[in-house]
Amino acid sequence: MLKVLDFFNYARSKSPWIVHFCSGCCSLEMLASMGPRYDWERYGYIMTPTPRQADIIFITGLVSKKILPALLRTYEQMPEPRYVVAIGACAYDGGPYNDSRSVIKNMTEILPADVFVAGCPPKPEAIIAGLEELKEKIKRGEPSASSQGGLWKQMKF
Amino acid sequence: MDRIKEVLNKFDMEYVEDYKSTWIKAKLKNKNDLLKVIESLKEVGVKTCSTVSPTDFIDENRIEVNYFLEDLFNKKNVWLKVDVDRDLEKCEIDSITPLMPSADWHELESFSTFGVKFKGHPNLRYFLISSDYYGKFPFRKDFDWEAHEQNLIENINSISDEFFEDYEKNEKTIGHEESKTVLNWGPTHPASGPIRLKVFINGENVEKIDADIGYVWRALENLVERKDFVGSIVAVERICFMDNPNPMICYSQAVEEIAGKEITPFAKYMRVILGEVGRIASHLISAGSFFGTMGLQTFLMWNLDIREYFLDVLEDYSGARIATASIEPGGVRYPLNDYKAWFETIQKAIDKFESVKADIDDIFIKNPLMSSRAKGNGIFTLNDVEEYYLAGPIARASGAKIDVRIDEPYAAYGELNINYVTCENGDARDRLYIIYKEIMQSIDLIKQAMKKIEEGIESGEMNPTKDHLIRMPRRMPAGEAVSRVEWARGEMLMHLVTTDKSTSPYRLKMRAPSVNHTMVLNKLISGKTLSDIPLLYGSMHICQGDLDR
Repeated sequence: MLKVLDFFNYARSKSPWIVHFCSGCCSLEMLASMGPRYDWERYGYIMTPTPRQADIIFITGLVSKKILPALLRTYEQMPEPRYVVAIGACAYDGGPYNDSRSVIKNMTEILPADVFVAGCPPKPEAIIAGLEELKEKIKRGEPSASSQGGLWKQMKF
Repeated sequence: MDRIKEVLNKFDMEYVEDYKSTWIKAKLKNKNDLLKVIESLKEVGVKTCSTVSPTDFIDENRIEVNYFLEDLFNKKNVWLKVDVDRDLEKCEIDSITPLMPSADWHELESFSTFGVKFKGHPNLRYFLISSDYYGKFPFRKDFDWEAHEQNLIENINSISDEFFEDYEKNEKTIGHEESKTVLNWGPTHPASGPIRLKVFINGENVEKIDADIGYVWRALENLVERKDFVGSIVAVERICFMDNPNPMICYSQAVEEIAGKEITPFAKYMRVILGEVGRIASHLISAGSFFGTMGLQTFLMWNLDIREYFLDVLEDYSGARIATASIEPGGVRYPLNDYKAWFETIQKAIDKFESVKADIDDIFIKNPLMSSRAKGNGIFTLNDVEEYYLAGPIARASGAKIDVRIDEPYAAYGELNINYVTCENGDARDRLYIIYKEIMQSIDLIKQAMKKIEEGIESGEMNPTKDHLIRMPRRMPAGEAVSRVEWARGEMLMHLVTTDKSTSPYRLKMRAPSVNHTMVLNKLISGKTLSDIPLLYGSMHICQGDLDR
């Protein structure tokens, strides 16, 4: 039997809003997936400039030390339930910047992601496929990974 | 050139010699003479500082500071070297910023990363680096990175602390009189990338803009030191993905110069095609976001559609859309197995652009609403170009005839028919027009290069499956080189230093145009109103990737 709460999850999964936050080069491919050829609005995704109305935040590739507090602050301003999508090799382990002195290498330890899209940068198709996977998770009503833990709770921002 | 040499020879120099066709390379013996040298160079027309690049020679206990000075309109360049002591306390030199304002942020960057103190700099402060590096100078060879990494969480917290302190300080100093406040424009503003403009406003009027940068600082210049010469292209191309091939061309040229190798004509023409396709892809986003900042997203969407076709060109060749890694020292990375099919893809992209060109002209370029906002707004004169070293499209919009492709031809540009593209007024509208004109110019260049390659292959002079790459030595001799290319946003200069039998760069300085373009924002926007910020910011075509590196 369809429960009322399930209905909310279903409705939420059909139109996830994504906060406009870019910290790295993968945001260019995000722009491409917004563009006419890939057009993620077909699937119900839309960018919103304010975190207060957003369901999803992207970790767009590299996160430098200086932008991390801003990223966490944006994340904290989002209403629950909030989900994190990590795009690109940098979000996983620093990727090509693994040796760099100013890039965070354990981003998903700090802010655990629900979906990770591989690639450097991932193609727009891959980003949309990753978001579709997240939709399923939202539909099932699973709690987001970042609400379960992560180093972000120990940090000031 | 002779006059510049004459001037330099008056001082106590270790050597003064010619370098390439447009450069004079000199080394100053005594660092106290620096200001006098700069003053006399200014008298003979060398008025602009391109960048300042220190090199840390830890074994010889010295830091060599390289100044790249340019006479923009007469195409004469000076590469001046000075030694300073490596010791943190004695590591200081006179600042040239009072004489050449274009050196301002470059000096701050050198100070923050190498600890060279610039005496007499109007506002010497830590810059670009995040606050956990304050006083530690991360680009020095003896910096202990592993020890630094252990306190990650404290380091991050110190960055937040700095922000809160700054916030409190502003609250106190500004007070609550009048309508003064400090507005944070960024770091997550949708119209910009990650950059924070501290906008000091009084009501609607902007009094001052203080840019806080370093949000995408990846320490690329330092990162390449841990990669080999070919692997470095991965770091170099990531300076900015909007125009991906041109930084690799710049870096590869520097490596080839040190190795003393000449690439094949086929590879040269391939570099032209790839470079111009990258330029178009970048310009399309620039022009689109110019309208985007005014609140009209349609043009951006149209441009993204056209851009996809140009990205197809890169994807067909290299397999990647924007991170192509397609150019490496010695030529271009991949052979062209089926050149006709690839040329068809290029032709398809050009046809796509030309099919919507008339509509773009009518709807956007001649748009009266855009004109009424952008015309006469944010004017740069030729004098500003020289003083702050505005490069590329921004300079050409003001009528400056500057283009590295013509001034110091590289790749195959010397054999192609290319002219300066300029506008006259130097206002925000012209900075859109110039972008549009340059796309047309690039398409023309691509067509010319395609024709040359076709002719070469048909006559048997070029072999597209074998000529793409020449053999490069695995170990480089000691040397240094300066290489320049015309990047989508302006001149890119790279200074590469190698040591004997090395497998990775000893030092690579990347000079990118957005630094200067962000530097002038204060001059450009002060006195305007709040609503002008997105428009004028958008008209500068700034990319944070190359601003921070």
